Amino acid sequence: MLDQLTHSPHFYHYLYLAVAFLAAFNILEVLFLLVHKTRMERNEIRKEALKRRVSTAIVTVTDPAEILPEPSDYVEYAAYSEAISSVLESFEGELAQRASGLVRKLGIDSYYRSMARDAVWYKRASAIDTLSAFRLPHNREFFLAVFRSEASADVRYRIVFGLSLLARGSEDIVAISKALSSLPYLTAKYTEDIFFNIITALKLAGKEEDFGKFLTAIMNDASIRPLIKRDCIAACHAAACERAATVVKRYFLTFKHEPEILIACVRSLVRMGNFDVIHEALFHPDWRVRLTGLKYAHLSKDDLLKDLKRLLHDSNYHIRVNAGQALARLGAPGAQALREAAGADDKFAAEAAAYALTLAEAAR
Amino acid sequence: MLLIFKAYLSKAGHEVVTAIDGMAGLEKVAAFGPELIILDVNMPRMSGFEMAKQLKETEATKDIPIFIMTSLKQEANIKKGYDLGIEEYITKPTNIEHLKLKINKFLERKKTC
Repeated sequence: MLDQLTHSPHFYHYLYLAVAFLAAFNILEVLFLLVHKTRMERNEIRKEALKRRVSTAIVTVTDPAEILPEPSDYVEYAAYSEAISSVLESFEGELAQRASGLVRKLGIDSYYRSMARDAVWYKRASAIDTLSAFRLPHNREFFLAVFRSEASADVRYRIVFGLSLLARGSEDIVAISKALSSLPYLTAKYTEDIFFNIITALKLAGKEEDFGKFLTAIMNDASIRPLIKRDCIAACHAAACERAATVVKRYFLTFKHEPEILIACVRSLVRMGNFDVIHEALFHPDWRVRLTGLKYAHLSKDDLLKDLKRLLHDSNYHIRVNAGQALARLGAPGAQALREAAGADDKFAAEAAAYALTLAEAAR
Repeated sequence: MLLIFKAYLSKAGHEVVTAIDGMAGLEKVAAFGPELIILDVNMPRMSGFEMAKQLKETEATKDIPIFIMTSLKQEANIKKGYDLGIEEYITKPTNIEHLKLKINKFLERKKTC
């Protein structure tokens, strides 16, 4: 076949033709890329200019919709939504109201709502992210409806996140928890963020106590996994949900055999000013709970000197080292205890004490 | 956020110079000698904390009031900011009207001193 081709009188014609075709293809490809790059750069410049215009209008005009034209293509919608999201993320009060008003008046939410029904999943995901950033209460029902029909897990996670930003009461928390339970897998950070958003939204709505009621309702609910309960309490810590302090204390007393829940409880309660749990945490059989207690030992109102000295002899290395540092944070009596322990027969305790003394010296 | 700040504070009668990251911020501080600095924490190349540290350690800039404005609400970050010697740690979302009042108060106090 190759012989036939190379001996053909038209061989060089074919060869020239093939080379010419490849050269033309390459030139066209380069031209296409150059045109595409120029177009993208132009769009980016247009978007930045429009974002600046929208931001300035929000700041300077009481009703920015009066002076801004309706967006007409994808780039313009992106510019409007980025400018508005940036305002809503950073500011509250009048500026936030003006930005939210712009979303409704210029039909920006309608555009993204229709995009949230697109056939391509990443377009739907992007639309949900944008709608979430607007935090418009009327999108709650829309999110719930889309969640019911959405097939892509990637989009479903985003919808739950969007819903968490719009929570206004107990019903919403239950709806979001059900939606959470239907997701294929959950990470601690994601779940904590969801509950953090819920608490923050409830605080804004003046219904912070609703989260405490929710925690009470799920405490003995076996269908809710312990790790989700832990993430709820961790969110209480992050969002400083002080109205839930009593319930968190009940969790601490109830879940004695769930170290992860206990750790979250200790952190939350300490942040809320309840230091009673520190002493008890120091006696827990799980070293991670003892460690959490040690981190906050200096805040306790109880006299922990004796217990901290005992923990210098703990079988766990982390506990011994942190007991030394907790003693160092107690001031003069702690330093005295460390000096005594540094010369003790137990070489592990002596090492931990000497290390804590070195650190304290270096800090001075 | 930079655009909003610039537009709002310029409208309020302040001369505003912006920088997109910590390194550029330090250069602008050296060039313009501002009366007050507002920083974000999460910035490219140099964080707001690092920039604040450098400003407070430099003789020529240590007395310039620094406001940190960030979405980082954790106590550890707030403590870190105040430990560096900043004047205000403001968490987002914030009310820009209140922020303007704070800025004016600081600048007035500075002039009185």
